[in-house]
Amino acid sequence: MAFVSPNITAYAVEATEYPDLARKYHVTGVPKTVVAADSAEVEILGALPQDAFIEQALSALSASEPQSR
Amino acid sequence: MALISQADQDKLREAFNEMTSPVRLLFFTQTLGCETCPQTRQILDELPPLSDKISIEEVNLVLEGDKAKQYGIDRVPAIALVSEEKDSRIRFLGTPAGYEFISLIQAILLVGGRPPGLTQENRKRLAAVNKPLTMQVFTTPT
Repeated sequence: MAFVSPNITAYAVEATEYPDLARKYHVTGVPKTVVAADSAEVEILGALPQDAFIEQALSALSASEPQSR
Repeated sequence: MALISQADQDKLREAFNEMTSPVRLLFFTQTLGCETCPQTRQILDELPPLSDKISIEEVNLVLEGDKAKQYGIDRVPAIALVSEEKDSRIRFLGTPAGYEFISLIQAILLVGGRPPGLTQENRKRLAAVNKPLTMQVFTTPT
């Protein structure tokens, strides 16, 4: 995904070597993906089919759109 | 002794044969206080002999802090994959052992020219992303 979009950066994080990151995101099972946009975060648990994964990942973007008030 | 068995080396050499463009692995490390850095370096060192398209460049997090920052790396060991013309924005934090090693190989092949496994539809959706998005995939070696 990072490879096809210049705005996406992907990190594969080895949870046992980075326990602080794993704790910060409450990683209790793997794989767990944390997608972060400007101000919103979406968590994806487990491995999903491609369409579903991208659907959920991109929902971080719409969630961080400024809300009209 | 080699970490990668002879049989696996042969398989990798064959897979790397498909690569059409060079891939550079930036290996971020530091001299002190990084228990798993030597092991990571050892794993990475076994790849260039399998393909003339793969090279390793060591970056010292302490001495070359600016470069590390440029690639968004603030801890070690870490690996950034870059192709000749651009940064792939694919990173590995921690030792790429076990299943992570397989992911690293897949990433090298992708950056080296293998077509992404994404559908045309999904590529379009991703190309439309116009704000920075980071994805952290947490894994364990087993």
